[in-house]
Amino acid sequence: MFTKMIVNFAYFLQTSKSYQSKKKFYRNLLDNNKYKYKKYVDIFMVSLIFASVAVLIREVKHPLHDYLFYFNSYVISIIFFIEYLLRFWIHSDMSKIVVQRAEHDSLLSRDIKLFIIFKKILKVKLSYIFSLTAIIDLLAIMPFFHELRLLRLFILFRVFKLFRYANSFQTLASVLASKKFEFFTLAIFASVVIFVSSVLIYVMEANNPDSPIDTLFEAVYWSIVTISTVGYGDIVPTTFEGRIVALVVIISGIAVLAFTTSLVVSAFTEKLDEIREIKTIEDITKLKNFYLICGYESVAQDVAKKLKKHNNNIIIMDAKQERVEEAKKDGFTALNYDPGQVESYKKIHINLDKQVKAVLCLREDDVANVYSALTIRSINRDVFILSLLMENSNRKKLQFAGINKVIYPQELIGLITMELVGQAVAFEVIHELRSEKSNVNITEIAITQRILDNYSTIGELGNRDYRVVLLGVQKHNSKHFYFNPLADTLLEVGDFLLVIGYKVFVKEFDKHIHTKVKNA
Amino acid sequence: MLKNSALIFGFNNYSTEIIKNLKNEYKEIKIYSLDEEDTHNEQYDITHFDLSDNWQDIEDDISIEESIVFCVLEETSENIFLVISLRASYENLSIIAVASHKENANKLLMAGANKVIPLVETTADIITNMLENPISNSVLHEILYEESDLKIAQIKISNESHIQDEELSSIDWSHYHGIVVLSLMHKDMSSEFIYSSKAKRHIIQEGDVLVVVGYEKDIKEFEKQIGSNRYVNWSNWSW
Repeated sequence: MFTKMIVNFAYFLQTSKSYQSKKKFYRNLLDNNKYKYKKYVDIFMVSLIFASVAVLIREVKHPLHDYLFYFNSYVISIIFFIEYLLRFWIHSDMSKIVVQRAEHDSLLSRDIKLFIIFKKILKVKLSYIFSLTAIIDLLAIMPFFHELRLLRLFILFRVFKLFRYANSFQTLASVLASKKFEFFTLAIFASVVIFVSSVLIYVMEANNPDSPIDTLFEAVYWSIVTISTVGYGDIVPTTFEGRIVALVVIISGIAVLAFTTSLVVSAFTEKLDEIREIKTIEDITKLKNFYLICGYESVAQDVAKKLKKHNNNIIIMDAKQERVEEAKKDGFTALNYDPGQVESYKKIHINLDKQVKAVLCLREDDVANVYSALTIRSINRDVFILSLLMENSNRKKLQFAGINKVIYPQELIGLITMELVGQAVAFEVIHELRSEKSNVNITEIAITQRILDNYSTIGELGNRDYRVVLLGVQKHNSKHFYFNPLADTLLEVGDFLLVIGYKVFVKEFDKHIHTKVKNA
Repeated sequence: MLKNSALIFGFNNYSTEIIKNLKNEYKEIKIYSLDEEDTHNEQYDITHFDLSDNWQDIEDDISIEESIVFCVLEETSENIFLVISLRASYENLSIIAVASHKENANKLLMAGANKVIPLVETTADIITNMLENPISNSVLHEILYEESDLKIAQIKISNESHIQDEELSSIDWSHYHGIVVLSLMHKDMSSEFIYSSKAKRHIIQEGDVLVVVGYEKDIKEFEKQIGSNRYVNWSNWSW
């Protein structure tokens, strides 16, 4: 009966949308670095830690106000306690364990054994309780019991909580962890030297009335101060034998220091690229609306630079390290990943639907472009893909791979030459309009509700007064372009005006139609 | 006026695309290749040439001076050498060259080409425009390259035109229904946007060229109304 109740309750929790969404929310808030609100929680908790330490420092020489005392002992402790409980809750899914076990037992036609379920739950939860971060969290709550004076020092444990909130601490820990074995060897060596030298110096000096070393603790203290090359000089050996021991410890100290420094440096050097890559990926995850350029050869370089001028975010992905380095030199975020591998997109955690404006396959190699396009299509069906085509015979293959727009440079040359020999001046004019270097430009102005509130027809816009040519309007519903529309053509939200004029006049005109208030 | 024939130096994807687009524009299109093996091509009639200054063989066949020349050799240094050789021999020859980069384009211009198309920059421009200004890009593309009714035309003011001697800004272009006047090219070939301050005070003279956008029938009507005709001049190009 009791078992049935527990199993039913577990099923209820597993299927309850509100319970699961709440749990997911707290999990994101406390544990998911990619969750946009987590940083606010982190900042809040770090502020509490610093406030708490500030109170502790003030308390040393000044009497504490009651409100500060209560804030430090109760408010902060209660917030930390709530955080501890939430982390305890989200760490593992008890109801899932119950449901899994119940299903397992019923599949094998066995009775559900509550004892095994509890054992499993206990094991999982204890693994959390005895984790280093959880112990620190618990100790940080201790100052709540302020009656015990010693426990007040536990406030310092709150500082250790910073490890949880600062990513760089975690990076540092992971870098040092990569040299675990070397550090362990070093620690053993240093411990042996400290132990032997402490005992030796104690034996040599303790019975000498002139020597400051009287206890084993003083001997150990001297050893550590000497081996670390700090050498305060408050305790020095006075006997000949003691000084011999000192010489050995000093030489060992140099070795230990050199070894430690080289270990830390080599750990960082080895991990530097990895750390940078992790940082780049984190930055990419936060980006909205960027162009993903696959390959960084000549056309890609030019396209990337031009798109950057238009204030676009650009991510470059290339399988070749040299090209990635070149992209980085040009100031782009570039990753040395193969655009033809699904794994690459998984690694950078991007949402092709929401984050990517368009994917540009700009390798000067049709095989590579088809491969990249197919890979992207296998992940996402809708993202816009544009690709270069180097050999016209491959056009169908590119289209078959799901590429939305194919650019064949040779074909462009053909079209341009035709226009050049046919209408040279007209070609020049259009080329000038498209060129960013020219003063006269063609610009698209979107019709917004704000514009519509003031102007309902084309004729009311007054473009001629601003020395701006209105080439036409693209209607948003039909997507049809109406060239040189009549003055009484009605405007609608979502329409686009195509205007030609000097940049400065177009800017003024744009400002004018956005700011004028009717009947003012 | 278009020349009678087109000479294409170099046989590759560029030349085939150029031929595809120009075959209806010229009476004769000749292809010359540095590679003797290309002469065996079944689809195209290709003649072998070398980079020596001996143009007599070609001259025997066709008048180079009366042709437009496309230099599309894949090797940039050879292409530059070809342009220099042609310019040294024919001062008034119209030479269009294709370059991989802007840097090579400048060299080709210095070598004497009238017009150079830098491949990488042009392709990048097209891609950027397509992504950033999709509407203007598609409209301009349609006007320039597609078989659309909307055309861009250059109209040379003749001595019979009634708008001759009028101030540009005093003309109400809305009288000419369906036409948008974009720019004016002076006799001395300097081009001005229609609303520039210089163009504003400009008195229209015979020989000026108006660049207009409009539907084919409206352009024809406009030509009739102002008494001038469409005109092509391509002896003075600037990039």
